[in-house]
Amino acid sequence: MAGEQDMFDAVVMADERFHGEGYREGYEEGSSLGMIEGRQHGTLHGAKVGSEIGCYRGFALAWRGLLHGCATERDSKKMKVLEALIGMIQKFPYDDPTYDRLHEDLDRIRGKFKQFCSLLNVQPDFKISTEGSGLSF
Amino acid sequence: MKDSLVLLSRILAHPDSRCWFLAWNPAGTLLASCGGDRSVRIWGREGDSWNCKSVLCEGHQRTVRKVAWSPCGNYLASASFDATTCIWKKNEDDFECVTTLEGHENEVKSVAWAPSGNLLATCSRDKSVWVWEVDEEDEYECVSVLNSHTQDVKHVVWHPSQELLASASYDDTVKLYREEEDDWVCCATLEGHESTVWSLAFDPSGQRLASCSDDRTVRVWRQYLPGNEQGVACSGSEASWKCVCTLSGFHSRTIYDIAWCQLTGALATACGDDAIRVFEEDPGSDPQQPTFSLTAHVSQAHSQDVNCVAWNPKERGLLASCSDDGELAFWKYQPSEGI
Repeated sequence: MAGEQDMFDAVVMADERFHGEGYREGYEEGSSLGMIEGRQHGTLHGAKVGSEIGCYRGFALAWRGLLHGCATERDSKKMKVLEALIGMIQKFPYDDPTYDRLHEDLDRIRGKFKQFCSLLNVQPDFKISTEGSGLSF
Repeated sequence: MKDSLVLLSRILAHPDSRCWFLAWNPAGTLLASCGGDRSVRIWGREGDSWNCKSVLCEGHQRTVRKVAWSPCGNYLASASFDATTCIWKKNEDDFECVTTLEGHENEVKSVAWAPSGNLLATCSRDKSVWVWEVDEEDEYECVSVLNSHTQDVKHVVWHPSQELLASASYDDTVKLYREEEDDWVCCATLEGHESTVWSLAFDPSGQRLASCSDDRTVRVWRQYLPGNEQGVACSGSEASWKCVCTLSGFHSRTIYDIAWCQLTGALATACGDDAIRVFEEDPGSDPQQPTFSLTAHVSQAHSQDVNCVAWNPKERGLLASCSDDGELAFWKYQPSEGI
C-alpha cells in the first residue's frame, strides 16, 4: 500500500517538481547571462564616459598651450576656468565605478566644459557615431 | 468673491498665436508680452486703454517663451525656442538688440535678472541652468553651467534681495543655487510636487517661495537658517527649505504660472482650466504653518489655458494675464473687507 502511495505522490507532485526545477535552472542561466550582459554594458558605458572625458582633456590641454602667455584680463579669466576644468578632470576617479559622486562630478565637468567653450565662443559640435567619425555625447 | 477680480480690458496681443508670457517694467508703466508669433510687444497706457508702443520681431526664429526686464528698466531679455536669448536695449520707444546669448542646446524656457542687475540666468530643455555676468560695457560672460536637474528646466527666478537663484523642472523638483568660491552650486533641492513644476515666485520678504505644478497644487516653502528656533534641521551652514503649506483642491488642471504681489502679498495663479485665482494669507495664521484662502476666482478668464499672471509692481491690485488664445487681459483686484 505504502509503495502505491509514493508512486501516486510522484505523479501528482510531478508538475510542481518540474516547475521548481525548471525555475531554478532558468534562474541560474539567467543570472549568468545577466552577468555577461551587464559586463558588456558596463564596458561600453565606461568606454563612452572615458572617451568623453578624454576628449575634454585633449581639448583643454590644447587650449592651455594656445592661451599660454596671453596677458589680457579676459584671457586670465579664461585661464582660470580652464585650469578649474583641467583640475576636475585630473581628480576624476577613473578606476572606481562605485564612486558615489560619479554622476555629479561628471555633470560638473560637462558644465565647466560648456562654460569654457562659451567664453572662447566656440561651439562644441563634436559628433561621434558608431562609424567612428566625430563625437556626440 | 465674485466681484473681487474685475476685467478692465482685453487685447488680442498676438493674433493667431499663443501669448506665452508678460512682464511689467520696474516702473509699472510698460508691459512686455511675447508669443508663438516670434515677436515681443511692448504695451503702454494711454488714458484708459493700452496701446502697442513697439514690436520687436526681428530677434528670434521661433516662439519667444519668456521676457524679463532688467532692474534698471533699460534692458529687456527675451528667451526663445530657437535656443538663444536676446538682450534688447531701450531707447525711448525703440528697442535695439545689443547681444544674443548662445550656448543652450535647445529651447530656452526662461530668463531672469538678478536684483543687482549684474547677473542673468537662463534655463532650457537641455536640462541646464546658465548664469551670466554682465559688465559695464554690456559684455555678457557665462559664469556657470549648472547640470543639476535631470529633465527640462521650465523656469528660473532670483530671490528679491539675495544672490540666490531658484529653478523649476519637469523632474518634479525645485532647486536653489548660490555662489560658492567662484562657482555656482546647487545648495538645496525641494521635493514634494508629484509632477512638473511650472513656475515659482518669492514673497516680498524672500523668506518664502511659492511653486505651482502640473499636479494641480501650489506649495509654499519657507527658508530655515541654521540655528533656527523651530528646530528645523539644517546641514552645516546651509539654510534648508521646508514645505509649510500645500494648496490643493482649488485647481482642476495644471497650474502654469504663479505671481506673488510685492505690494500686497496676494498670490495669483494661471491655470489650464482657463481660470485665474487669487489667494491671500489668513491674517494671524501661524508663520510656520500658514493658511491661505481663495479670495477671487474667475472661471472663464480666457477662452483657453492661462499661461501667465503678472502683478503691476507699482499699482496695487492691477493684474495682467495672457493665454493660448493670444489675448492679454487687465484685471482690477479688490478684496472685499473682512477677509
